[in-house]
Amino acid sequence: MSETTLPVDVADSVVAAADLQANGALARLILSGHFNAHTLGNGLWTSTRTAQTEWLGDTGNGKTLSVDLAAVSYLDGAGIAFLIDLQHAQEAAGGKLTLLNLDKRYDPLLAQYQPINNLFPAPNTDHHTSKSTLIRLGQGTESLINDARNQMVFVGQLASALGWAARNPKQVRWNDFVNVAVEAGVAALPIVSLVAFLIGVILAFQSAIGLKQFGAETFVANLVSLSIFRELGPLMTAILFAGRSSAAFAAEIGTMTVNNEVDALVTGGIDPIRFLVLPRLLAGILVAPILSLFSDLIGIFSASLTMLAYQVPFVTFYEAVLKTIHVNDIMSGLTKSLLFGLIVAGVGCLRGMQTGTGAAAVGLSATRAVVTSLILIVMVDGIFAYISYKTGF
Amino acid sequence: MADLSNETQTTTPDGADIIQVNHLTVGYGSNIVLKDLNFSVKRGEIFVILGGSGCGKSSLLKNMIGLYDPPTGQVFIEGKDIVTADGAERQEILTRFGVMYQQGALFGSMNLLENVRLFLEEYTDLTPDEMSLIARCKLDLVGLLPFESFMPSEISGGMQKRAAIARAMALDPDILFLDEPSAGLDPITSAELDQTILSISRNLGITFVVVTHELPSIFTIADRVIMLDKDSKGIIAEGKPQWLRDHSDIPLVRQFFNRGAHAATVPTTPSSPAH
Repeated sequence: MSETTLPVDVADSVVAAADLQANGALARLILSGHFNAHTLGNGLWTSTRTAQTEWLGDTGNGKTLSVDLAAVSYLDGAGIAFLIDLQHAQEAAGGKLTLLNLDKRYDPLLAQYQPINNLFPAPNTDHHTSKSTLIRLGQGTESLINDARNQMVFVGQLASALGWAARNPKQVRWNDFVNVAVEAGVAALPIVSLVAFLIGVILAFQSAIGLKQFGAETFVANLVSLSIFRELGPLMTAILFAGRSSAAFAAEIGTMTVNNEVDALVTGGIDPIRFLVLPRLLAGILVAPILSLFSDLIGIFSASLTMLAYQVPFVTFYEAVLKTIHVNDIMSGLTKSLLFGLIVAGVGCLRGMQTGTGAAAVGLSATRAVVTSLILIVMVDGIFAYISYKTGF
Repeated sequence: MADLSNETQTTTPDGADIIQVNHLTVGYGSNIVLKDLNFSVKRGEIFVILGGSGCGKSSLLKNMIGLYDPPTGQVFIEGKDIVTADGAERQEILTRFGVMYQQGALFGSMNLLENVRLFLEEYTDLTPDEMSLIARCKLDLVGLLPFESFMPSEISGGMQKRAAIARAMALDPDILFLDEPSAGLDPITSAELDQTILSISRNLGITFVVVTHELPSIFTIADRVIMLDKDSKGIIAEGKPQWLRDHSDIPLVRQFFNRGAHAATVPTTPSSPAH
């Protein structure tokens, strides 16, 4: 009926073949060769089963399939599974299957799978049964409410930990704080510089193109400096901080959770919030405004370089910047950055603490940390914009 | 199925070498853990590599399965040197054996059936139903068929190890390498796992190479053992475990098999107060 060869470097003699000879209610399936997952996988299994199904027709009642294995040289686990599949199909149709000339050495193998019906589960045996849309909607809502509640509880724990740190500054793990600040801050300088430089260039060019139509290139400095100090500097830095450090905090604490290290802290009487979260939170609060200020300066510098192309000298550009920017603008940007740092560090630690089990859970925590951080950053930025509009801050 | 016998067939080692290790050095750069190892594993036997903690058992195993490149030496698996093999030849050698890692190393994002099916999906052209049936057969062999849809995180450590054995058997390899199968398991689960190993070995004729230092397991499953020593960086004993326990003239070997403490660490027994 069909023949197949191994796809890999195996002797040419290693082939398998099946031939179904039907005669009314009786059929003889002659198997020969080497039966394993490779030889069966080249369509031999499927074509044999198709031929069997065609022969069985609508009803297999009283039909007997004799499988002759005299010419079978080798049968491994896949070969045994093939025979079991044939037997199951035969019995499901009301027929019978007999094995002829099977080498005795395969008897224990076949015996292990009796009764074979266990190997063919009825549909929907999955214990993760499918749920209706309504149930899934309810569970999703419950999950959202629980998440919001957990975030509020976590905010309370953070506030408590910050209060404790203010009362007991000597007990804060300052070494961890410095390590995190170096990793999240100093190590982030190259990427922050690059992004800030390019944002400055792009912003200056885009502004100059528009303003040139009115002969107002000199006002690019006013536009760019306000945008960078009040909005783009803090926002871009926060996004980079979220991508780098929030994910890192979540993955680090998540791995510790998976390895029961957080449990070890709890059972050792050490508050994981104070031990793990507080140093990261303080580092985030310190590092984000500094990075933001650094980003502002790089952005202004790159914009001033760009404006040279429009014959706007450095001095003119910087004089315009100094006239436009007030302390209020800088403080507004830095305050936002401080809040962003708090959010990014806090969310990263929260997602890390919420990690489930397994490697996939750590990846999920890191993803959730970044996504939640970005959503909260944009929300807080929006709230800040409204407050600035109303109060002028 | 017709004419099935329930009696258990016993497959015994046929004497031919299925693995041959020649002049193997284990280590990195100047940090040599084991040197000039020479031994062979016979087809169908359960071969145990044992020794104290830190003697290089797991490192030796990782050299044997091609995860690490040894500084010197050869590891022949069914006549092909895995150390020098590359490309298609290496790929072909890799299909000849399965490995169970110490922690099971099941893929956490897949259920047990998907874990076992994975290698069939990668290496064969079987249909999904055909692959699932083969995977169910493997899970049935290790007694986990009812748990096929469970995620690894939902089952116990012992079950994870059994599932890892089922996954290692997916392509019906000739050899199974097991790294510390009993580590961290309670005595009952450990004994059950030993019986699973024995059953697979005797019924399917699969050769086992097991790294362990669990004495009950060694005495239950091992046909032959080699014992590694950290100080001499080599094999200090080879043979049947019972024989080594009763007849070895090497003190360290006797200590190991009789659970004796190292001479230097044996606390002196305080003298009984006179009555």
